[in-house]
Amino acid sequence: MAEPRHDKLFYYTLLPFASTSLAIVLLLASILAVNSLPAIERYGLSLLTRNVWSPVELDPEASDYGLLAPLLGTLVTATIATMASIPIAASLVYVSEEVLPARMLRVRSAISILVDVMAGMPTIVYGLWGALVLAPLLLNYVYQPLNKYFGFIPLFACSPYTGLNILTASLLLSIMITPFVFAVVRESYTQIPLSYREASLSLGTTKYEHFRIMLGIIKPSLIAGALLGFGRAASETVAVTLVVGNAFNLPYCLLSPGYTVSALIANQFNNAPLYPYMESVLLFSGAILLLLGLVSNLAGLIMLSRVKARV
Amino acid sequence: MARSDGTEVTVRNLRVYISGRPILKGINLRATPGSILAIMGPSGSGKSTLIRVINRLIDLNPSATVEGEVYIGGLNVLSADPYDVRRLTAMVFQEPNPFPHLSIFDNVAIGPKLHGLAKSRADLEEIVRWALEKSQLWEEVKDRLADYPHQLSGGQRQRLSLARALALKPKVLLLDEPTANIDPVSTRKIEESLREIARDLMTTVIIVTHTPQQAARIADYIAVLYNGELVEYGPAREVILYPKNEFTKKILEGVI
Ligand SMILES: Nc1ncnc2c1ncn2[C@@H]1O[C@H](COP(=O)(O)OP(=O)(O)OP(=O)(O)O)[C@@H](O)[C@H]1O
Ligand SMILES: [Mg+2]
Repeated sequence: MAEPRHDKLFYYTLLPFASTSLAIVLLLASILAVNSLPAIERYGLSLLTRNVWSPVELDPEASDYGLLAPLLGTLVTATIATMASIPIAASLVYVSEEVLPARMLRVRSAISILVDVMAGMPTIVYGLWGALVLAPLLLNYVYQPLNKYFGFIPLFACSPYTGLNILTASLLLSIMITPFVFAVVRESYTQIPLSYREASLSLGTTKYEHFRIMLGIIKPSLIAGALLGFGRAASETVAVTLVVGNAFNLPYCLLSPGYTVSALIANQFNNAPLYPYMESVLLFSGAILLLLGLVSNLAGLIMLSRVKARV
Repeated sequence: MARSDGTEVTVRNLRVYISGRPILKGINLRATPGSILAIMGPSGSGKSTLIRVINRLIDLNPSATVEGEVYIGGLNVLSADPYDVRRLTAMVFQEPNPFPHLSIFDNVAIGPKLHGLAKSRADLEEIVRWALEKSQLWEEVKDRLADYPHQLSGGQRQRLSLARALALKPKVLLLDEPTANIDPVSTRKIEESLREIARDLMTTVIIVTHTPQQAARIADYIAVLYNGELVEYGPAREVILYPKNEFTKKILEGVI
């Protein structure tokens, strides 16, 4: 069947914009790739497997780099953040959609407005709050006791000197991505057809049992929310830079300062031109971040489309 | 909470308004344990609404208001916690709605699991099998219990919804056109199952049906709704042989 003419027109008008954004992404990826080549040629895979950061000014032979610490730091912080954000987001959906009676529409919309505001707040605000408020609080009331009583667990074995460490970064990230995960889950939750809600309630479910069944129906969108949240957490920069501690430690112990890829780039990019290979190494780490983001976001979007197909 | 042992469903002067529009206009009915009450009436006459009042699913519609009295045994349905009401009832919906994320087995098992009806895995399997047999679905799905509802036909999904409700062994069974998409042979067998369940488990069965033949075959009592009013109500035999209402006569034409 031929498309109506105005649809085609619409399509052609949008084409330049759509293709521009695709082109920008491709351009970005190729710039990252091309500029990573010198580092890859010199260090090869060891860039991914070693934890070294010894730039030497003007001496290419002596300069040595390995990104293991920031790479693991990114994975660990983003994973903890995601795992923490899912139950929080789910509980928020539970409260706003099931516990509050339908009459309290105002409270429900207040919750979603609050969450939207949280999602839209400049990340520097989170960063400052994290460094000035959250980190000292955690240090005194969580990390020190954790280290004292659970120090036998390797993850908490190192003594916490400041509150700026991997765990603080993870928790701050979880606060930052929760609004986002919440929005994704709630969106699917409210779209569950009435007939399934009725089916579940007709079985004599409690609110909680009902919620569990409903979550089961939209499970792919929980996973999607997690993947999209993970993508955000992995690429978040400003706030993390302020609280992660910025030290090249492998994240064996969550209470020690660490690094993430984006924090590394933010901190080092200014000096990079002074050191041989550093710029290339940083762009390489940026390329990996881009890849991680693309994969988790794509997987998330695919998951979301599966919910739509099912419900 | 005062609650008598009987699970008779009593409806007194029931009025339902949706967005201010009267949908049920003063209904008086009774359905007794061990018997089947068939509710008939044209499309839009309020049959589904009546069923949804009995298990309080009407609560999901914020623009609905309900007046009058409904009792299940001694339980005052309209003032009780809906959870208590729904624990006594099970419902089969007009549109089949098995849970899309649960396998065939789990769709049937979910009720018994929630209610703690099975003491062991074997118990649970026994209940699931029983419910699927009563719903005339067992033979078709016994080798594919791990499949999902979207792999079933419409009629199979409807029978799965029926099995899910039966597995609860409810005191009150609410059926909204449960055999609308099912072939005549299976329909007959399901009707037999319903009779057995009413008789053996002393279940109070309320079934909405559009086919007078079905009402004639299984119902002990027949109620006819017309435009939100109860225009006929009595023992099935009497209603079929001596209908008082013009509309009832019309829909029963051809039954005798
Ligand atoms: N959610 C709703 N919002 C508004 N009106 C409703 C709603 N549900 C039912 N009604 C109205 O209530 C009346 C009775 O509907 P109901 O579903 O009870 O009819 P029914 O007898 O079950 O019809 P059918 O045989 O077609 O299933 C109809 O006029 C319908 O428009
Ligand atoms: Mg109906």
